[in-house]
Amino acid sequence: MKKLLAILLIATLCMSTIVGCGKKKEEDKNTTVDLESENPSGDKKEKAKEPTHIKIWYETQETIAEELQKELDKLAPEIVVSVERKDKLTEALKLVGNDPNSAPDMYFFAHDKIGIYAEMGILSPITDFIPESTFDDFIPMTVSAATYKDQIYQLPIYFESLLFMYNKDLMKEAPRTTDDLLAYMEANTKDGNYGFVEQHSTAYFTVGWIHAYNGFIINDKAEPGLDLKETKDAIKYHKQFVKYMPIDGDYNTMTTLFKEGKAHSTIGGPSLIPDLIENGIDIGIAPMPVVNETVKAISPFAGIQGIYVLKGAESKKEAVTKILQQLSKPDIGINLAKAMGSAPVNNNCYEDDAVKSNEIVMTLKKASATAVPMPNVPEMDVMWSITENLLSSVNKGDADPVTASDEAQKKALEQIKSMK
Amino acid sequence: MKKRGYKKFIPYIYSFPGLALIGLMIVFPILYTGYISLTNMNVYHWFDFQVIGFQNYMKALFVLDTGFLTAFGRTIVWTIVNMVLQMIIAFVIASLLNVEGLRLKGLYKTILMFPWAMPGYISILLWKMGMFNTEFGLLNHWLNKLGFANVHWLNSNNIAFASSVMVNLWLALPFMIMIIDGALQSIDKAYYESATIEGAGYFSKARKITIPLLRPIIAPAVVITIFTTFKQFDIIYLLTQQQGSKTGADIHTIITYTYEKAFVTNNYGYSSAISIIIFMILIIFSLTIRGRLKGGDVDA
Repeated sequence: MKKLLAILLIATLCMSTIVGCGKKKEEDKNTTVDLESENPSGDKKEKAKEPTHIKIWYETQETIAEELQKELDKLAPEIVVSVERKDKLTEALKLVGNDPNSAPDMYFFAHDKIGIYAEMGILSPITDFIPESTFDDFIPMTVSAATYKDQIYQLPIYFESLLFMYNKDLMKEAPRTTDDLLAYMEANTKDGNYGFVEQHSTAYFTVGWIHAYNGFIINDKAEPGLDLKETKDAIKYHKQFVKYMPIDGDYNTMTTLFKEGKAHSTIGGPSLIPDLIENGIDIGIAPMPVVNETVKAISPFAGIQGIYVLKGAESKKEAVTKILQQLSKPDIGINLAKAMGSAPVNNNCYEDDAVKSNEIVMTLKKASATAVPMPNVPEMDVMWSITENLLSSVNKGDADPVTASDEAQKKALEQIKSMK
Repeated sequence: MKKRGYKKFIPYIYSFPGLALIGLMIVFPILYTGYISLTNMNVYHWFDFQVIGFQNYMKALFVLDTGFLTAFGRTIVWTIVNMVLQMIIAFVIASLLNVEGLRLKGLYKTILMFPWAMPGYISILLWKMGMFNTEFGLLNHWLNKLGFANVHWLNSNNIAFASSVMVNLWLALPFMIMIIDGALQSIDKAYYESATIEGAGYFSKARKITIPLLRPIIAPAVVITIFTTFKQFDIIYLLTQQQGSKTGADIHTIITYTYEKAFVTNNYGYSSAISIIIFMILIIFSLTIRGRLKGGDVDA
């Protein structure tokens, strides 16, 4: 009896292991199909069109999902969209991006990973569904960001960039040039208070200074530019500012100092603003200071958030097209601007009074003229770490900017070679 | 005869589910990694990859440059320093917990277990922000109160290494204390009574009774901890190398070094080759330790 019980238990365990690893039935793979359904009298004559189900993944803020869901619910009942949160979205797509059973039909993400997924072959160009003329009213920078090897892979919806923020109670007028800023920092950095703080050794933050010197981290031909004279000059010039900031340059340190009124000004993302207001900071937004030597403003990266179509969704072309058409309208941009102060990519959104009166959104709109879209080439993935090693060794250690930049360039070329 | 033949398979049938799970969860990923390491699977050949022989190994061995050797040496030092400190501190604390007449032992043990109960990731980030932060960290706050200047705990190599050791000890000590505490309690008190009658002191009892009797009990835990410390990634990475808050210290161990060199390249073939090389290093390390165990250097 005991033996029989043991064998039964073993069999159950084996079965559950095998079943657990089995393939999911394609029961939720809903495509538009015309099914014959029985009418009350039992005749199979009437045809009922089943709704097309579209799954969209997103990773970050819930507000985005809510607004997308609200907007796409307008397409019901023909198209039923479910916007679902996915942790580690980029990694998940690498694993299941080509499997229509596991992958979503579309996903919402920033533009900087376009190159990777396009090379992997899991993305469909957006222009397979909607005409290129859709982008006529879009801010040009956002469309170029969505383009990789002459194909547009993303429908841009809003963009984000960094802003120069200052505490109006502590700083009466924002500095117009970087020399003014340096003078202000020299005069006001004392007793645990700082004239200006930023994440000085983080590539995303410091690149604005590099762009102001006409340098770059990597260009659209995937050529790293860390050893360029312009890049080296920018790093050298920027180092003067670092000595008036906390050495760790960490996000938490910098934002806490600004939130607690111990830092007069900072460079940060718009997402920081609600927290600052909650902390009672009378916040001012100003244009980025202009570097005196190059007469060019600090030009940070811009990240363009938008929606993508995965290759597996090509069988639902009609539904996907309608979704893209719906999201091309100004409504979603306006609603997101109202809900979270994001800057729409569609110029028509700026006709709306609520958008027009939003200082942050309008500052971002102005910044779009100088902001540089994050590179979307796959090689950028290795550049973040290399650039940050370079910046931290110069700003936090005693590395010579010229030598360190040359070494970083060598490492970058090695790493890029290792990608292939 | 037939029945005996059937009986021969009974142990295999009983252990089949366990073996199947081990095969599925441990052996299969290793074999698959080995297979991928022989292919050109990368961002440009994600689904259409082909077998390319040992090219990735050639490239990986080329990557294992002087930086790798430095990281390897540092990993050895990291493992030795941590293990020695862990053994000494855990032994002292466990001995103190076993002093006769000590009250509230249970409470002390619960408090000492606390770091182990917390998720490592959170503990490390709490140390980073709460203790080592130059502006708001408790350590600098104390130093300032004593009239000293701020110390940059994570910016230069030596001090960042020492800070990482401190965090590792905080995280790892509870396990070792628990093991040694349990082992101490299993030693027959009669040995100590006899030794006391014969006039042995504390150190003599520790050297002649406690340590020899502890060795066989704690040896497996020590071996496990050596491996965990050797392949430690989180502490060094989160304290000094985390994307967006690198500190400028270069205290890579082989795991963090290869992560930065290979795993960010999206070249799975190449990264797998590096993984297999590290795996082989660990296998050799394991066989050496097993050899020493069998040779009686450590009683297990």
